[in-house]
Amino acid sequence: MNLSHLQYRDTISKSIVWLLAIPALLVPTIILGYIFWKAAPVLDWNFISGAAEGIGFGVTEGIFAQLLGSLLLAVMACVMAAPFALGTALYYCIYASSRQQRLLIAMFNMLQGIPPIVFGLCGLVVLVNLFSWGVSLLSGAVVLAMVLLPLLVLNTLAALERIPLKYTEAGRALGLDSSDIIWRLWLPRSWLNLLTGLLLAMARALSETAPIMFTATVFSGVVWPDSLFSPVTTLQTHIFYLAQEGNDSQVISIAWGSAAVLVLLVAVFGLLARVLKKLEAD
Amino acid sequence: MTIDPRHENFQQEALPSFDTVSPNREAIALQVERLGLQLDGKVILQEVSFSLPVKGVTSVIGPSGAGKSSLLRCLNGLLTQWSGSVAVNGCDTRQWRGGWDQLRRHVGLIAQKPVVFNTSIRANVCFGLKSWRQRRHADELVEKSLRQAALWDEVKDRLNAPATTLSMGQQQRLCIARALAIKPRMLLLDEPTASLDPHSKQLIEQSMLQIAEQTPLVCVTHDLAQAQRLQGSVIFMCDGRIIEQGPGEQLFAQPQRIETREFINWSVCDCD
Repeated sequence: MNLSHLQYRDTISKSIVWLLAIPALLVPTIILGYIFWKAAPVLDWNFISGAAEGIGFGVTEGIFAQLLGSLLLAVMACVMAAPFALGTALYYCIYASSRQQRLLIAMFNMLQGIPPIVFGLCGLVVLVNLFSWGVSLLSGAVVLAMVLLPLLVLNTLAALERIPLKYTEAGRALGLDSSDIIWRLWLPRSWLNLLTGLLLAMARALSETAPIMFTATVFSGVVWPDSLFSPVTTLQTHIFYLAQEGNDSQVISIAWGSAAVLVLLVAVFGLLARVLKKLEAD
Repeated sequence: MTIDPRHENFQQEALPSFDTVSPNREAIALQVERLGLQLDGKVILQEVSFSLPVKGVTSVIGPSGAGKSSLLRCLNGLLTQWSGSVAVNGCDTRQWRGGWDQLRRHVGLIAQKPVVFNTSIRANVCFGLKSWRQRRHADELVEKSLRQAALWDEVKDRLNAPATTLSMGQQQRLCIARALAIKPRMLLLDEPTASLDPHSKQLIEQSMLQIAEQTPLVCVTHDLAQAQRLQGSVIFMCDGRIIEQGPGEQLFAQPQRIETREFINWSVCDCD
């Protein structure tokens, strides 16, 4: 096999890889570009900061209430799921036998594969109807927390597994017990990675619509939730609602505007996660 | 990264106190009898028996894979699924009051590569301190431990500097100081000077000799010259077994076993 033949093969394989990679890069870029192009006419500060207080309900006014609702649900869900995720990950690392570890991983991978609408349905039956919490902020946050839990557990495990074994062994060799190892070695060492996982979970929470549609959100009549048991309005369901009014061009452009803001919000959390990852690497 | 306490099933009730004294406690700090270890079906240690005096250095030499590091990890309780018996100051380590964590406080282990925690030099030395009384006297303890580890003069003016700013040799001495701060009854060192420069090596050896005047010290080393410099007794291991043990001068000058002779002459050891 001479050199030119090897170069020829290399060029062909490189071309195939490029041909396969370009659509994967191009399609999301085109979609994102299209969203922002369509959103550009409505996208201004008044649109983002204006609260829908009148009958317009985000159709003729701003989307601040929806934006805040989305953030509120995502933050509550993360706050609820994070301690359980940390506890599960620590149980996995410290107490679980290798069989239990395999079982836990299989279970969380399976849970991650369950369509979120199924969680929404369970939330509707159990929380909204059986517990009589109604369509509320609390019901939505709990269901969303359940959706996020597998992701957070796997993220937390990944963060803990990045701690070198020699570090733990050095602590063990000093006679530190499991709680010392957790509080004095693992958490100080991995908090940036844990926070990164939490931010990625926030981004995921912001992109979930199905679980909160039945359990937390209403399409009209609500601006701010009065209590944990009040319904809330979110960007995700707002876009869904506006998209159904497909004939009205003004409404559709507001839907594009809302979508652009949602994409930006998810991107902000994704970027923050990247910054933290870089900080950790440094 | 998994801490595995599955083998930490101690008989917590009716534990003998640390002061349960064997008749020859005064003379023997560590008594190992028929120690065996299998990991994933592979025999790592078999029929290992020896004892250590209450002070002085014992060097463990042998080819790679002889089970030297595993032996130290069994003695320290980092590995717990071994068979046989290990008694520290006459007390069976399986029945140690407070379990393996407490045992590890009494039997310090220094790894081959220094692992310093991401805090200050001072905080590193104090890392193993648990009791309020120890923490109250932390300053004295830090100075004493760093002096014993021959590091005090180099770091006394920057105790609050990050430990990661120290050189490898200094980090290893910091690890020794950190282990000494919890006042272990015995110190195990796993090739403490491997990959260090000659000056750091010399400082650590001096420090080890000084520590060994009060505390028994076991040092795994590949460096036969170091084993000779450290004086004391020498254990030669191969294939998980002790082949020969005795005073260093005797073992190096007149080895009784052919395997030992071959190893000392840098031949390939074939114990079978």
